[in-house]
Amino acid sequence: MDFELSPEDAAFRDEVRGWLAENRDQIEHVRAVNWEDGGERFERYREWERILFDAGWGAVTWPKEYGGRGASLVQQALFTDEYVRAKGPDRINRLGLNLLAPTLMLHGTAEQREAHLSKIARCDEIWCQGFSEPNAGSDLASLRTRAVRDGDDFVITGQKIWTSLGVFGDWIFVLCRTNPDAPKHKGISFILCDMHAPGVEVRPLVQINGDARFAEIFFTEARTPASNVVGAVDEGWRVAMTTLGFERGTGLGSPAVFNRILDEVVDLTRRSPRDGGVAADDPDIRRRVAQAYIETRIFELSSQRTLTRLAKGGTLGPEASLTKLYWSEMEARLEELAMDVLGPRAELAKGSPGAERNGDWYSEYLYARASMIFAGTSEVQKNVIAQRVLGLPRE
Amino acid sequence: MDFDFSEEQYLLRDTVRDLLRRECTPKHIRALYDDPGGRSPERWRKLAELGVVGLTVPEEYGGSGMNEVDLVLLLEEAGRSLLPEPLLEHTAVAAPLLAHAGSEAQRREWLPRLSSGEATASIGLASSPFVADATADLVVLERDGELHALTQDRLTLTPLRSWDGTRRLFEVTAAETGDDTRLAGGREPAHWAFDHAAAATATVLVGVAAALLDQTVAYVQQREQFGRRIGAFQAVQHKLAETLLLVESARSAVYYAAYALANELPDAPIAVSVAKAYASDAERRANYEALQLHGGIGFTWEHDLHLWLKRGKALEIAYGDADWHRRRIADWVYATAN
Ligand SMILES: Cc1cc2nc3c(=O)[nH]c(=O)nc-3n(C[C@H](O)[C@H](O)[C@H](O)COP(=O)(O)OP(=O)(O)OC[C@H]3O[C@@H](n4cnc5c(N)ncnc54)[C@H](O)[C@@H]3O)c2cc1C
Repeated sequence: MDFELSPEDAAFRDEVRGWLAENRDQIEHVRAVNWEDGGERFERYREWERILFDAGWGAVTWPKEYGGRGASLVQQALFTDEYVRAKGPDRINRLGLNLLAPTLMLHGTAEQREAHLSKIARCDEIWCQGFSEPNAGSDLASLRTRAVRDGDDFVITGQKIWTSLGVFGDWIFVLCRTNPDAPKHKGISFILCDMHAPGVEVRPLVQINGDARFAEIFFTEARTPASNVVGAVDEGWRVAMTTLGFERGTGLGSPAVFNRILDEVVDLTRRSPRDGGVAADDPDIRRRVAQAYIETRIFELSSQRTLTRLAKGGTLGPEASLTKLYWSEMEARLEELAMDVLGPRAELAKGSPGAERNGDWYSEYLYARASMIFAGTSEVQKNVIAQRVLGLPRE
Repeated sequence: MDFDFSEEQYLLRDTVRDLLRRECTPKHIRALYDDPGGRSPERWRKLAELGVVGLTVPEEYGGSGMNEVDLVLLLEEAGRSLLPEPLLEHTAVAAPLLAHAGSEAQRREWLPRLSSGEATASIGLASSPFVADATADLVVLERDGELHALTQDRLTLTPLRSWDGTRRLFEVTAAETGDDTRLAGGREPAHWAFDHAAAATATVLVGVAAALLDQTVAYVQQREQFGRRIGAFQAVQHKLAETLLLVESARSAVYYAAYALANELPDAPIAVSVAKAYASDAERRANYEALQLHGGIGFTWEHDLHLWLKRGKALEIAYGDADWHRRRIADWVYATAN
């Protein structure tokens, strides 16, 4: 057991830190706008991704040939940590970077990797995840979007929903039924499809925080080359499970993000009036702050344990559900604490006089609620843990 | 960065686990419930032969010269098997404490014997109204913030009775302290001892919680109601999934606390509080779900479950309960942040 950084890792961290400091103005320029507002604002974030890519920070663990620097998992964690501390802009292509790319590295063909990895890292292709359907959410394997072989193509017809970044997407990885006669989990294929192709229509959905972060995608005989199937035809479920493993295990919840939220909440408790003093004097609030500290600290430690395991060649199977369940529920408690600390002012919305951070706290609070739904609901994670980690009987 | 144990550390854990599986079963523990001594000198001797009893004593005094990280997996096993002997008081606290703050004379007199298992030591801190295993040859006692190493001739003890029939608790009604018994370093040794005791208690709690969870998972796999195994009911599955998450997360915390203590890191006291607060809550949850999911059978004296329930309950509260540690963390957060 050793928490000291090796000299190489320490040098790596210093290099990241130095580079981020040099680019502070650029970071502020990007963060001055919201990418959700689209248009030029979204493009600013794309340009930022190119700056990262050109400096070799776009996807640090990837091989050099795809624009990475072959960094270790520990170094990737260090990068993320520094990036979050420096208030680095949202990574708009995170579904491509964190979900599709590692899936392609495991299951993709050389041609698929060649065709997409560098473009993901350069943000030339914004990727979406086309899993959920109106009637296939938690029961994902009951999906009905069809893909039918026609010559060198697959022809896709059906509907996906809740597709994050749908309105900005260039490409989508779609789970399609390719064999309607096979049992539910067989007969599904994992297919890459150009969202600008004829027959693909995107209809934005407004979320409860007012953002247009997700969309419905309609496929009407949209064609994609058969070479875009990842893994074998009809065996896409297994591929999708590795994607979900990345999503739940290491892809979304980063300790540095929660540490930053906690710091902001602590700061808020010092400034928020309560009973003639400030929230930081209230023993109940202090108790919850302490619990939040405990939980964020343990998340960081558990992540380091997982990292060590992966670095030693281990894998993360259904245990990824423990990670996802932990951070999503912790995030909700943190944001809820922020609401209570803000007190009556919590409900003041964007544009309102007196709204703390222009109502963003509330928006983040709502988004934390979504964290317990996307990437598998908390109930689904508990089912996975019970049945596949503890070995309890399936119902 | 390497947050894992070495091959040797796992090997020693397995050796101790094997020994305790054979020689520290519920049957052995029940026998000690009714035995006034309540300890098995035979088992303690075997642990000493494995080097476990003197694990934390420096080599120059005949010990293994290992540290908190080497010990942490063994404390977890102690919790899992409900080891009644004072691995926590003796090996995790009193012996390394003497090495840390004892005079050269105290060390030379006691450490070799504490290491071999010839003599035992215990610890009595002001946070507790009683001392566990106070009949030990040497009791390190807190008085006015300072620690004194006292032999039995300087102590007057009144035995108490715990619901956990393996605990041997005593009120110290009189203690003869003097300059010759005082450990050096003012108040520092008492803080050192408290943090070590709290971290070790958190670790034992993780073992207790893991054992409760394992037994409950096994039980719901075989108990049938409504024509199926109760482990197939989602209400049951979710309780156990949540409990597993708590226990696994507590492991991260207690392992790091051991590391922070072993390396005397500045954040060690907070790492200890994180561990004790979280492990106490995690064990409490495991404790609740275990009895709940066993139903009536778990409420009988005859079933072994209560042996774990009672040890867990005692340790949840010992050396600062979860709320106490949360208060310490809050004070620290507000003293240091920003
Ligand atoms: C902000 C956001 C972004 C998203 N982004 C994407 C995306 O980019 N791509 C994508 O494919 N999907 C995305 N999703 C969809 C998400 O994965 C689904 O919403 C989720 O899997 C749940 O499916 P559902 O909405 O159909 O709810 P349902 O499956 O209908 O669930 C409703 C309720 O029933 C419970 N439930 C269902 N089955 C069980 C069971 N077996 N046991 C116990 N309880 C059960 C659920 O836990 C939930 O509480 C996103 C969702 C949100 C909120």
